[in-house]
Amino acid sequence: MASTPKTPICLCDLAVGATARFHAADLDPEFSRFLRSVGLTQTSELRLCRNGDPCIVQVRATRIGMSKAVAGQVYVVPTSGT
Amino acid sequence: MLGEALADTVLSARARSRPARVALIGNPNTGKTTTFNRLCGSRAKTSNFPGTTTSTRLGRAELTSSRAVEVLDLPGVYELHIEAPESLIARAVLEGDGAFRRPDAAIVVVDACNLTRNLVLVGELLHYDVPLVVGLNMVDLAQRRGLTVDVNVLSRRLGVPVVPMIARRAEGVDALRMALLRALDFPRAKRPADLPAGTSSPEALTAWADELLTEAAGASAPNGSGPDSFTEGLDRAFTNPILGLVTFFAVMGGLFWALFTLATLPMDLIEATFAYFGQLAVTYLPAGPLRDLLTDGIISGIAGTIVFLPQICLLFFFISLLEDTGYLARAAFVMDRVLHRFGLPGQAFVPLLTSHACALPGIMSARLIPNRRDRLATIMVAPFMSCSARLPVYVLLTSLLFAGQPGWAGLAFACCYLLGGAAALLSALLFGRTVLKGGARPMVLELPTYKMPSFTNALVTARDQGIAFLRTAGTVIMAICIVMWWLSAYPRVDTPESVRTLRAEADQPELSVGRVAELRARADTLEARAVQAGSFAGRIGRTIQPAFEPLGYDWQLTVGVLTSFLAREVFVSTMSVFVGGAADAEVNVGVIDRIRTMRRDDGRLVFTPATAASTLVFFVLAMQCLPTLAVTHKETGALKYPILQLLYMSGLAYVSALIVYQSLRAMGWS
Ligand SMILES: Nc1nc2c(ncn2[C@@H]2O[C@H](COP(=O)(O)OP(=O)(O)OP(=O)(O)O)[C@@H](O)[C@H]2O)c(=O)[nH]1
Repeated sequence: MASTPKTPICLCDLAVGATARFHAADLDPEFSRFLRSVGLTQTSELRLCRNGDPCIVQVRATRIGMSKAVAGQVYVVPTSGT
Repeated sequence: MLGEALADTVLSARARSRPARVALIGNPNTGKTTTFNRLCGSRAKTSNFPGTTTSTRLGRAELTSSRAVEVLDLPGVYELHIEAPESLIARAVLEGDGAFRRPDAAIVVVDACNLTRNLVLVGELLHYDVPLVVGLNMVDLAQRRGLTVDVNVLSRRLGVPVVPMIARRAEGVDALRMALLRALDFPRAKRPADLPAGTSSPEALTAWADELLTEAAGASAPNGSGPDSFTEGLDRAFTNPILGLVTFFAVMGGLFWALFTLATLPMDLIEATFAYFGQLAVTYLPAGPLRDLLTDGIISGIAGTIVFLPQICLLFFFISLLEDTGYLARAAFVMDRVLHRFGLPGQAFVPLLTSHACALPGIMSARLIPNRRDRLATIMVAPFMSCSARLPVYVLLTSLLFAGQPGWAGLAFACCYLLGGAAALLSALLFGRTVLKGGARPMVLELPTYKMPSFTNALVTARDQGIAFLRTAGTVIMAICIVMWWLSAYPRVDTPESVRTLRAEADQPELSVGRVAELRARADTLEARAVQAGSFAGRIGRTIQPAFEPLGYDWQLTVGVLTSFLAREVFVSTMSVFVGGAADAEVNVGVIDRIRTMRRDDGRLVFTPATAASTLVFFVLAMQCLPTLAVTHKETGALKYPILQLLYMSGLAYVSALIVYQSLRAMGWS
């Protein structure tokens, strides 16, 4: 745990299966709102299930698919397994 | 205070003696529709929320033998306090804004497998002065995942009744009715003390919801987001660039195969039934304008509308099944890779593929696309796809173009489909740079868990969509059919001398039965031709023919193009009438051969390779379907879109046909 970096990285750079905390999204408010409303908030942990196009993340029991264009603008802080 | 307000609401609802109204709300995919169908049976009225194209259903649920309530199904919302259209509608309903009648109670359907997120919505709802009942749905799935929720704890902490349900199997629905009855009669108005204030952030609400879940589910509460190998595996396969595409084509191929095969029988039946009614009218009514109006105008108008019904119902039936399984969301991502480049969203594949059968259900299915700009772009280009009505025209024209060369005719046929598809994609690109600025939104979707679809839901959806189609588009389509019939049948022309002679000849007593029938048939077709030529459509054809001269069309071909605005396949029968064939002609070798030898007034052939090719291109691209325009108008809610569609498509068709004709002519193909 101690060695996990605390600086935000792009969601696309996360390893498949790794977990992270959502940090910020450089997206239209419409998308940011959607991500927040499906549970992607700074306090919740997400897991990357599939990288590429689409990129699939899971937050609690919710799976969210996002095209590469969106995933490339989402920044997360890894919590394990990068 | 709050209690008084609530009691007032309930009393005034009673005083109005209208049944109390209950709003049904919840996150998307939690089983609202299933619950609605369980509560209200099949007695529901589908309409749009005032001022929007979001549809809603209003049903009647019997709580006891003597007490019924109205249930209003709201669109799925993740959160109330965001600016999404569904959230705006939900807020307006809950607040009783403007056109909405304030509900006397609300049922919030929550997914037991995804409680934290669902409880955030419950938390928001607790701030409204509306008695609430929580329907804790999908407990079967939760149990399978080892999650047990203590309903009593949850209910005590929320201060509202919580009813465990398996809506799919109608379990818990009676308990839901009872809880609703109690909530209506004895509204509790105590908010949980630890509920974050109405203005707090989603993070605060999420933390509150997490805490509730831990309390109610204890050790079984899911911690983190562990992998579920079944879902992971399927997702990997369905979104894989190759396997995903293969699956997609297999699923869609199956869907269209089923759509076409299953729709054929009811469509034939509908046509046969109306033909029978027409025959009855002919038998029992005296000849005259009234009979013609009834048989050729009204009866064929109704038939021309209802004949679309099997395809529309079946399509929505299958889409509902596919949507319920969770597959559609994955397929959207697969197609997004291709369609996005052209400014169309991944979900556009359903409308575009469906439009190969008929643009009407295609355009209606664009409702699946959440973003308005993306939906408009899809609707605008969907009619470019070669629908089944173009098929007989393609057969006729490709056979004229490549007589005795079936290989080349087949290739030309396939090229028509490709040309339509390419025109759709490129036009979407063009619209994205002009009238519908901006490309398609990048896709972000919740991927629902895979589930067994509900047959009942699919049936209800199919029926509702069918009724919605008949109610709105149907009346317009029928009116259009009647007007087009009138234009091609009036003004009546005097029976030509040649026809009278033929009929007189047929009346000779010494003739054989076969000869009489032959003479009569010839007289009928000659008369039909005279009617066609003298009708308004015929006259209009002659008048505007100069405009089509550069495309190589004479006045007969111009009339053919004009009458096919009623329905494209009418082209074949119009042409057939001109060469003295029957009006109900099928495209067969005899008809094609006769049309091939059709002559212009100056004796030259009507169909040279150049005119046949130019007509073919025109039919691929032109917007020759008034019913489609009517549906576009309805689905977009604005007149400018069907007008733009008509002008753009027909303009493109004209220019392309012009280029084809003039190039071929320059190469000596006329
Ligand atoms: N296993 C299980 N499946 C259910 C239950 N209730 C509904 N479903 C299934 O869940 C899927 C979604 O149900 P819907 O009723 O369409 O959900 P909805 O909330 O109306 O969805 P939207 O209208 O898209 O927001 C369907 O496949 C249903 O068959 C349940 O209690 N158990």
